[in-house]
Amino acid sequence: MRYKLTAIVAAFSVSTLLLGCYPDGPEYTEDLDLVLTNYEQSYDFKAKGTYARPDKIVKITGNLAGDDDPTYIPDKVATPILAQMDKNMAALGWAKVDVSADPDLLLTPASWETTTIYYYYDYWYWWYGGYYPYWGYPSYPTYASSYSTGTLLMNLVDPAVTGANGNLINQWSGAVNGILTGAYDAARINKGIDQAFTQSPYLKTN
Amino acid sequence: MKKILFILFTVVVSSAFAQSLTNVQYTMGFGSGDLGDFISKPSFRGFTVDFRKLVQPNVGVGFELGWNTFYEAKSYDTYTVGTLSYSGKQYRYNNQFPALFAADYYFQPEEKISPFAGLGLGTMYSIRYTDMGQYTLKQDAWHFLLRPEAGIIFNANPNLSFAVTGKYYYGFAAGDLDAQSYFALSFGFVFKN
Repeated sequence: MRYKLTAIVAAFSVSTLLLGCYPDGPEYTEDLDLVLTNYEQSYDFKAKGTYARPDKIVKITGNLAGDDDPTYIPDKVATPILAQMDKNMAALGWAKVDVSADPDLLLTPASWETTTIYYYYDYWYWWYGGYYPYWGYPSYPTYASSYSTGTLLMNLVDPAVTGANGNLINQWSGAVNGILTGAYDAARINKGIDQAFTQSPYLKTN
Repeated sequence: MKKILFILFTVVVSSAFAQSLTNVQYTMGFGSGDLGDFISKPSFRGFTVDFRKLVQPNVGVGFELGWNTFYEAKSYDTYTVGTLSYSGKQYRYNNQFPALFAADYYFQPEEKISPFAGLGLGTMYSIRYTDMGQYTLKQDAWHFLLRPEAGIIFNANPNLSFAVTGKYYYGFAAGDLDAQSYFALSFGFVFKN
């Protein structure tokens, strides 16, 4: 009996001790930052050279009705983010032009802070609709999460290329995703933007 | 079939009256093959419990239960699948739970130092998590398991001994996973009845 009890106590002690030191994983919210990019393999980025973008970053709320005006993230936050995108586009050989100057591509940035998102609204129609009234809307990828997260989206669409349904096709998409900490962390966002372009060398134009 | 049943019956009846060994061990794991590619770091979190009935003075039959968790935090990196690229830190976990029937042969059971070797057959449950950002990829499988082993028992006194054992677990491809295999080195107390 004593032998059995000792063996059971020994097994229990070893297992409890080891279960107590199960690996923890990430320590900081930055450790959960994620950058995703995707592109249309058949699209010839090298043959293009100009792009236009709005001077605001639209805020996706997920419940925008057709006639509602979109909201934007504050300019003091948006301006440096947009500048970082420009810097990366310039480094890849792209020239920024006005939307009225027939750009090869349109860069449409957006952000959302949510747990789950699913939507069909054309957030950028207010900007380019006047120039290209027959377009449909580009689609953004959808994500689901149990944390309050922030995601910065960057899409490149070619106004001359639409899909079978008449909608614009994302020739390139970049998403910078991370857990929100309540403070705008420029270094963290810039690092994500830089990474999105760094891992997309095919965007380089001649 | 009759032969197998007879052998099983003999083993069970013999074991009911025989001396037994219970080996409680701390186990380190060293991944090989697909497991080693996924997590290159060894596992220092694991334990094994071996139970054997001595059906002969130098033959023990019984079972083994164990657990080892492999873990590696990968550095920030970029992974590409087709046209999709994703960058971040990956946290990889692989848990192995072997459960098997085993038989050992003790070369000199009465000596102070008693080497032994054995073979085990059973199953192993593998569960693998790949965490990146706030997303988790889970893969799992129940493998058919083959496990050879060799070790030495140091007989300290009639009731208690120490053991060092080397094992190789090979779980054949199953479920979501390729074959999962690892070497294990165990140190334990052997309680004798």
